Amino acid sequence: MEGRVIVVTSGKGGVGKTTAVANIGCGLASRGKKVALVDADIGLRNLDIVLGLENRIVYDIVHVIEGKCRLRQALIRDKRLQTLFLMPAAQSRDKEAVQPEQMKQLTRTLAHEFDYVVIDCPAGIERGFKNAIAGADEAVIVTTPEVSAVRDADRIVGLLETQGVSGPRLVINRLRPEMVKRGDMLNVDDVIDILAIDLLGVVPDDESVITSTNKGEPVVLDGASRAGEAFRRIAARIDGEDVPFMSMEAGGFWSRLKRFIGMGM
Amino acid sequence: MFDFLSRILGGKSRPGGPGSKSLAKERLKLALACDRVDVSPQMFEGLRVDLARAVSKYVEIDEAGMKLRFDSSDRRLALVASVPVIGMRRGSEAARRSKDRR
Ligand SMILES: Nc1ncnc2c1ncn2[C@@H]1O[C@H](COP(=O)(O)OP(=O)(O)OP(=O)(O)O)[C@@H](O)[C@H]1O
Ligand SMILES: [Mg+2]
Repeated sequence: MEGRVIVVTSGKGGVGKTTAVANIGCGLASRGKKVALVDADIGLRNLDIVLGLENRIVYDIVHVIEGKCRLRQALIRDKRLQTLFLMPAAQSRDKEAVQPEQMKQLTRTLAHEFDYVVIDCPAGIERGFKNAIAGADEAVIVTTPEVSAVRDADRIVGLLETQGVSGPRLVINRLRPEMVKRGDMLNVDDVIDILAIDLLGVVPDDESVITSTNKGEPVVLDGASRAGEAFRRIAARIDGEDVPFMSMEAGGFWSRLKRFIGMGM
Repeated sequence: MFDFLSRILGGKSRPGGPGSKSLAKERLKLALACDRVDVSPQMFEGLRVDLARAVSKYVEIDEAGMKLRFDSSDRRLALVASVPVIGMRRGSEAARRSKDRR
């Protein structure tokens, strides 16, 4: 059976695409699925280091496209998960080294062998974006609850529509429950109301994302992390399981006290 | 006492009005409405003039009071026009046409 090709994109940079790809990939592989992650951010390779696989790269995606190696040779197997593989980006080339048509062919080929092919899209809406979405069946849009990120996400929704990638789903990343409670941050309903697309998941702003990235171990593998739990649920939803959304209460002392005296929301 | 607690614990809204997110939402909605429509002011003006001319064939309108906007809530675009009517035109084009048809 043919696998699903999913692009993770955002428009705005730095909102958490690479983090989401690494965690969704590990989350799906932990569920026993065969997963290939493709780093389409040519020139700004990151997915390898986030996954802790940076020392294993010999060939990259441009080598494959230029026929300098076979597809298999460029795929790196994850250290922890037997069914997770990475196709690294080229570091010393630029986005023009690849054509959308070539990208489409490569991801389609991967889809013959894997259950999921997840593509890490670069920021922006130029060539790198067009390459990344070329072979995608589905899209996940990542945003943060901030005006600039949401506005860019809206652009992406429109562009995906014109490119024929329909029904994108949204991940709201770095939500801060205490700011939402105060009315100082857009909440989940606000963002969904504005973008009018389906919600795939909400990930809290969480230090454990940074500490786990420091170690090259995606946070989804940390059973105690809130962000990790959020990504586990996102992976489950992608995999077709109907899981409830996580409560976004600030888990700290104040919120427990507030709940205790009956002021919790 | 409750008020005091509510203040130091940070209730849902801060005294002195809603938090900055309502402003964020309003600004975003407006910005996105414009982004999604993507029409030039010239085209918009042309549309307004042509529409006024078309409507005037049938009813007498107050062209200066005419309001035209795009509404893009629900990801679908609608052209919403409000045209103040001063009076109906007797023997208008519309009346003539419906007579022809009969
Ligand atoms: N939920 C989170 N909580 C805390 N930090 C986060 C969270 N998500 C992402 N980050 C941090 O934000 C930074 C940017 O994340 P990431 O590299 O995944 O973004 P990106 O969208 O891929 O960026 P680029 O557009 O440059 O490719 C990283 O330092 C990451 O650790
Ligand atoms: Mg990235």
